[in-house]
Order: sequence, then structure tokens, then C-alpha cells
Amino acid sequence: MTSLVLTLTETLRYRGAVGQWSWVLHRVTGLGVVLFIILHIIDTSWAVFYPDLYVKAIAAYQSPLFTIGEFALVACVVYHAYNGLRIILFDARPLWWRFQQRAAMVVLAATALTLIPVFILMFNHVLKHYSDTPLVLPLGVVLLEQVPFGIGMVLALVAGLALSGLYGAVSGGKEAAPQSSRAERFWWSFMRLSGILIIPLVFGHLAGMHVVQGVFDIQGSHVLERGIAAGLEGGLPAVGANIAQVGVNSSGTAVEFVGDRWNTLVAGVAIWRLYDAGLLALVVVHGFNGLRYVLTDYTMSSPLLRRGMIFTCVIGATILLVLGSGMLVRTIDSTAIEMARNSLCRLYEENHTEVPEVLQCAAETGQ
Amino acid sequence: MDVTFRIRRYNPDIPGKNKPYWQEFRLADVDPNDRVLELLHRIKWEQDGTLTLRRSCAHGVCGSDAMRINGVNKLACKVLMRDINGSKVQVEPILGLPVIKDLVVDMEPFFGHYREVMPFFVNDEPVPANGRERLQSPDDRAQYDDTTKCILCAACTTSCPSFWANGKYVGPAAIVQAHRFIFDTRDRAAKERLNVLAEPNGVWRCRTIFNCTPACPRGIEVTRAIGEVKLAIQRGTTTGIVDISTIHIKEPT
Repeated sequence: MTSLVLTLTETLRYRGAVGQWSWVLHRVTGLGVVLFIILHIIDTSWAVFYPDLYVKAIAAYQSPLFTIGEFALVACVVYHAYNGLRIILFDARPLWWRFQQRAAMVVLAATALTLIPVFILMFNHVLKHYSDTPLVLPLGVVLLEQVPFGIGMVLALVAGLALSGLYGAVSGGKEAAPQSSRAERFWWSFMRLSGILIIPLVFGHLAGMHVVQGVFDIQGSHVLERGIAAGLEGGLPAVGANIAQVGVNSSGTAVEFVGDRWNTLVAGVAIWRLYDAGLLALVVVHGFNGLRYVLTDYTMSSPLLRRGMIFTCVIGATILLVLGSGMLVRTIDSTAIEMARNSLCRLYEENHTEVPEVLQCAAETGQ
Repeated sequence: MDVTFRIRRYNPDIPGKNKPYWQEFRLADVDPNDRVLELLHRIKWEQDGTLTLRRSCAHGVCGSDAMRINGVNKLACKVLMRDINGSKVQVEPILGLPVIKDLVVDMEPFFGHYREVMPFFVNDEPVPANGRERLQSPDDRAQYDDTTKCILCAACTTSCPSFWANGKYVGPAAIVQAHRFIFDTRDRAAKERLNVLAEPNGVWRCRTIFNCTPACPRGIEVTRAIGEVKLAIQRGTTTGIVDISTIHIKEPT
């Protein structure tokens, strides 16, 4: 802990060049993305396991707090991706170190340039959403919904430390043998390779789910995924026809959106399931290994803490991978969609918001 | 011109006052060409004899007087007043090594890391037939030319946030010293050195923050050297990694 405080204060005091700030930003943005994917993967798994909770989670995602968070998330991902490329470049070509400062500025400029149109698109969704009378969950409700995540993270930390203590007791308090050098070598390469693979996947995911089509469109017709699928299968002319036919979210629930998306087939292959599986595996392992880097950097003085941090990261990554792959192999049936519809109707009723017609819950709310 | 020095003081021998604190000193008639080291001497000789610092040659060769000057690691003997913006100079010990007194730090952990990388020539093969030197081509010599310049002042290692956080990290200077032998074609212990540096507290703790490179008073391309060692570990070879096209060594005449 002292080492973390010392590094934080002295990094602010040391007049390092731009590279130092790139490193700080890389860590901060990485931590931000990891925090979000913890919420996001668990939330999304509810579409399969607890449809009524998923409805609430999506309502929270559409609240102002998460809208601000979504803008920050996109900024974090873009910066982390571009700066990651810079790191990879100078790792591969140490000779070019002279250009690293300029490259760091290019990364900042490219991030800004990318974010301008992206934020405009995203802000359009926000404007459109609030031009109707949308369902807006109060901040207190949204925050309360996130409390279990906080508790879960603390529990993972406690479990990691407890395991570490147990390990220490069993191994007779000896310092664990240093991880074989092969492991660190592997992780170093993995972070770079996975980083390169993640960039197109995550940019595509962000474009489809946050930018071109946003979280506010999730209860409407899902044009983009169907369009892409149709395009892949039958070429451009098929896109329009396909959207008209199947691009309709008939229940108006986010659960149906998720189910339809995963069931979209191209030549018999559920492309979005494969896409999400690849993204899930790479991002979780990359993210939690990054988290391990950050956490162990500041706990090297205590074997108990250091091991505890490693165990915590393993626990976190395992939970997310199990939940994530669990949801990706399941299908969403009409019962789940019905549950989601009822839950959404109740949510509208509780918040005294005008119910969209597509939900068809007038009969129940009329009581 | 008048200059104000703000110096981080620490004296463990004064009971009750053995915590680090800042102290200001004013100096008149300072010449822009005065070096910070000379001004520290003036403070010690004219104002406060207890001010403790380490220096030896005072000409940027011995590497004794590395300190953090206005927020950046420098050799006090190589910074002129005219290089400093304004008339305020803040001096504190380099960070990450235990402070013994004022600006003097315990260099032993630093030298410990230095010894870990076997900083000496290893070659047990028979001496050449003429009984004299082991010859090397200028191109082979050029590979490690840059890293021969290190004077072990610790300016790079103590500018590194990874080292601040974790004193077990071997640090940039030890990697530079290892680089000097790893890429020497006459040396035979590259593998052992690379194994040491492939440990979790070896090169992988480098997060390419690039603080070390500008901190080097000798202009060594420190982060580049670390990157080349990383590549050597990754590829399992020391050949074809250092690009010598930017390094010029005179042909022997």
C-alpha cells in the first residue's frame, strides 16, 4: 500500500516527459475498462439466467449516470487501444525510441479525432432518447443496483487473500518459488498479441452496441446485426429486405434483442455468438492479466498480498469466463422474453412513465 | 543573480527531528555558468556545514552526485544555472533507495542489482594463438557501444516508477550493464544473464514509461537497450537484434 501511495505521489511530483503520462493514462483507462466489463458480462449473463434483472440492468444503462459512464468507457477503450499499439510498436522496434514522445502525442490526437465523430453519434442517441418521455431510473436506484457488484469485488479480494493465507500456511510460510520466467515471457507476448486481436473486435462491438446503434435502441428493431448478417449471406441487396422482414423486436424487450442477436445465423453459423465468445475470452484474460500487473506492481514487498492479488485476478477472470461462456451456449426462449416483458411493464408502472405501445402491457398496468 | 535553493534535509542522528523536511537557502552573486554542485558547495561551506551530499570527480564521470533537481534526476555537476528556468532550485535525493542523510542515499541495493547481472566479461575459451587480444569487428563492437557509457550513477533506475514501487526490480541501470555484455560477441554468458533478466523482477517490470532515457546524464538510449534485451529473451538469440546502422564506430587505421 505504501508503495502505491509513494508511486502515485511521486509520479505527480517527478517531472517525467509525456511517456510517463501515457503510462498513467494506460493504467487508468485499462482499470476503467476492466471495471466496466465486470459489470457488463455479469449483467449480460442475466439476459439468459435472470431476465427480469437484465431488464433493470438495461434500464440502469439508459440512466444518465451510465450514459456519462458510456462516454468515458468509449474514450478509455479508444485511448487504451491506440496507446497499446504505440507500446507494441516500440517493443518491436526499440531503435525508434526517439519518436516515442511524438508517438504519444499522436496517440492523444488520434484519440481526440476518433472521439469527436463517435461522441456526436452517441450524443445523437441521447438526444433522440430524451426527446420522447423515456423511462429514467432515479440515481439512487441505479447506484443501489451496483452495490452487489461492489460487494462481489470485495468478496473476490477477501477470497483471494484468504486463499493466499491458506497457501502460505500450507507451504510453511516459505516464499513461493518465483514464477517461472517462461510464464512472464508468455504473458508479455500474450498481452501484445491479444491486444492486436482485441482492437478490431472491440471496435466492432462498440460500433454496433454503443455508437452506430446504442443502448437506447436495444428495445427497438435491431437493424445493424441483422443487416450485417444478411449482407454476409446474400450481398448488399439482401440487407434491406432482411431488415424489413426480421429486424423487429416484437416484444420490445432487451432480452429478445440479445436472444435474436445470438440466434442470427449466417450459413448455419451463429456469428454473433462466435464473435462474442472471442471477445469475451480475449478481453477477460487481457484485462485481468493487466489488473494482475497493476496490483502486483504495488504489493511486491509482501508475499501474502502479492499472492492474494494474483488469486483475486484468477477468481475474477474465472467467474467472468464461466458466466460468459455459460450465457453464450444457452438460448433465450419465449418464457424468458415474457418474464422480461412483465418486468419492464412493472418498471414503467413503478416509475410512472408512459408505456410504449410495443410492450402491450396496458391490460396489466390498467389494474 | 540571486538564487533560492529548496533542499530536502534528513538527519537520523538528531533525536526528535529525524524526519525529512525542506530547508531554504539564499545565494547571492550566482553566475549563470555556475553548476548546481558548486552552489551546493557554497551552501555547505558558507551557510550550513551539516548539508551532506556525495560527489567525487565533479565532472560528470564518476557518477556520485545524482539527485533530483527541479523534479528530474540529474548529475548536480552537469546542470548549469542557465539550464534552469528561473531562480529557484529544488534539490532532493534520488528516490527508491534508502536515504542515509540529506542527499546521500544507500547505493547498496542498486549495486546488488548490478551484481545480479554478472557485470564482468566471461570467456573460458583458450586465448587466441598470438596470445593477445580477442579481436572483434567494428560492427560487432558497435552493438553494445552505447551501453559501455554507463557510470552507475543510478539516475535512470531511480527515475523509474516501476522501481519506486518495487525495489526488487533490477532496474534500468542493471539492464544497461547486462546489455553491454549480452551483445558482446566475445562474451559467453549471455544466456545466464538473459535468464536472470527473464525473472519476474527482470525486464518484464519495465512498462516502457521512458523516464530513464532522458534521466541518463551520459545520453545512453536506456529504454532502447531494455527493449533489445526483451527481444533477445523473446527470440532466444542475441544476433540480429541491435540495429547498428545508426551507430558509427571509426574503422581502425
